[in-house]
Amino acid sequence: MKNLLSILALAVVIVGCSGGDSAKSEAPKESGSKQITVAMLPKKKGVPYFTSCSEGAMEAAKELGNVELIYDGPTSGDAADAVKLIDQWTAQGVDVIAVSPNDPAVLGPAMKRARDAGIKVLTWDADADAANREFLVNQATPEEIGNSLVDAMAKDLGGDSATGDVAIVTASLTAANQNEWIKFMKVRLAKYPGLKLVATKPSNEDQKLAFSVTQDLMKVYPGLKGVFAISSVAFPGAAEAIKQAGKSGKVLVTGLSTPNDMKTYVKEDVVKSVILWNTKDLGYLTIFAARALADGKLKAGDTTLSAGRLGEKKVVGDNVMLGGTITFDKANIDEFDF
Amino acid sequence: MKNLRWSRELTLVVLLLCLFGAASILEPKFVTMRAQTLLATHLWELALVAIPMLLIVITAGIDLSVGSIVALSAVSFGLMFERNVPPVVAVGLTVLVGTVLGSLNGWFVTKMKVHPLLVTLATLAAFRGMAEGISTARAISGYPDWLLNALQGPTPIVLFALVATGTHLVMTQTYFGRWVVAIGTEENVSRFSRIPVDRVKQWLYGFSGLVCGIAAVLLVARNNTAKADMATGLELEAITAVVLGGASIHGGKGRVTGLVLGLLLIHETREFVSWHWKQNELSLIVIGSLLILTVLLENIAERRKDRKPKVAITATENP
Repeated sequence: MKNLLSILALAVVIVGCSGGDSAKSEAPKESGSKQITVAMLPKKKGVPYFTSCSEGAMEAAKELGNVELIYDGPTSGDAADAVKLIDQWTAQGVDVIAVSPNDPAVLGPAMKRARDAGIKVLTWDADADAANREFLVNQATPEEIGNSLVDAMAKDLGGDSATGDVAIVTASLTAANQNEWIKFMKVRLAKYPGLKLVATKPSNEDQKLAFSVTQDLMKVYPGLKGVFAISSVAFPGAAEAIKQAGKSGKVLVTGLSTPNDMKTYVKEDVVKSVILWNTKDLGYLTIFAARALADGKLKAGDTTLSAGRLGEKKVVGDNVMLGGTITFDKANIDEFDF
Repeated sequence: MKNLRWSRELTLVVLLLCLFGAASILEPKFVTMRAQTLLATHLWELALVAIPMLLIVITAGIDLSVGSIVALSAVSFGLMFERNVPPVVAVGLTVLVGTVLGSLNGWFVTKMKVHPLLVTLATLAAFRGMAEGISTARAISGYPDWLLNALQGPTPIVLFALVATGTHLVMTQTYFGRWVVAIGTEENVSRFSRIPVDRVKQWLYGFSGLVCGIAAVLLVARNNTAKADMATGLELEAITAVVLGGASIHGGKGRVTGLVLGLLLIHETREFVSWHWKQNELSLIVIGSLLILTVLLENIAERRKDRKPKVAITATENP
């Protein structure tokens, strides 16, 4: 019995000790308003895109000094796991939950439960049903993104007179913001009569699937000149497929990605242009919006939000706008490190 | 302490008490009713599916296809709903789909004499593939509120309580229950003893499918979506709960009471770890360690039990 008891005691001590260490983040710095807890949920934890957003968020939390940031999300990218986390934060009674929903339909009820419990809910990076959140921190309008993607592809294929088949490899067919971008991409494509959109395929946030989908596209459409791989996971998958097929430079791929992820492909000429908004700023702005929301400083009808080093940001309706896209190419990609 | 038989249930209760003890000091909010109710929402599909898994493991079998059966049933439900099948009929048909899929496993195991590990490994892939195929990997949403509400809240809990209690009674009070244990202990002897081994197995795999069908409907209602990638990895979670609950993977041993405690311990540990350390993936490590710790605790207890009589015997032999 003695053995047994000592093991149990040990177990309790282990649980207890490590609990002490993890203490409540850094000591709050001087600030007028009260300490709040903000829980930030990425679509998928551990991918460079979201990690870089979280760096911006941490920077903002540190700068504000009175925000305890919880950054956690499903490593599987499974919406059901995201729901569990939201429910857990609701049970904990955090002040603000900022969600990047990977499936708005699945996350909706949990977001509603959080709001019913008096928690402020924001979306960032991707939107959900407007009834389930107060504001969206919007990285760039779908129109800006759609236009940038199509313009970059057309430019890389020879400008206004560019010709050939193009295809889209998207995240999933239900991903709300990808669908919005596709809508505006189709509008913009009309400007380039030589470019013909032949297919739109899902890759379900799975790099291997993006790889095989792109292989299939090249087989089915021999006239394929360009692929829009419009999720951070689909892009490297599609680029790898083109590289392995020995079609670098013959089939172009463009999309949205963090520069570090695509650097090698850009240098190997598989990819000419990488498009993105500033991800760190997106995370940074999200925390400032959360703080303002908790303080009652961000409310319906506002037209601007003061966001630290970003200055005054526009608020359009219930969207806090980050705005602007960056195009990374061989000439400038080394200047960015995230 | 002498007449207290050290059982897996006791180990689990002790671990649960330790967990709640630690939690009430570190995270007082965790042990409130409100938090526990909210956290429990996500437990029921796993809890349901683990029950037939327990029985199959007791017969020295395994069902790796449960997650895929849930997915294929869920997608079938979504597609029926889309084609305007009345929801109540769709629920019934979905449970039927699950039962048929489970029975198919049973047929391969009993009639084709293929090892359950192989059969269900194959159907794990095949059913998931079919789910992706027939749904074209789409998510099917948009169910009416009355249906979602009817299938949430107390419904899953009541269903679980019914299935768990029913199974417990069958296992402890009926011939069928004794047959299940006998098959897992010594299958050939059971056959010679005129136990309908194949029929029992057929029933169990069918039962597993049926429960998966029910779980599928609950899962769709809770997520408001039917999707082919639902319940991925459910089989491993269920097997973990079964083994933690004291069932032997070699068959012949296992109780519903142990399983229920095992489920509870896994659930509370997972939620607590993710709650306290705010890194949800940490809970995987902790649950793995928990499994080892439980077995370790018991081995120590067993060894102590074995040691005593040995000492007594040597004492009498060497005066």
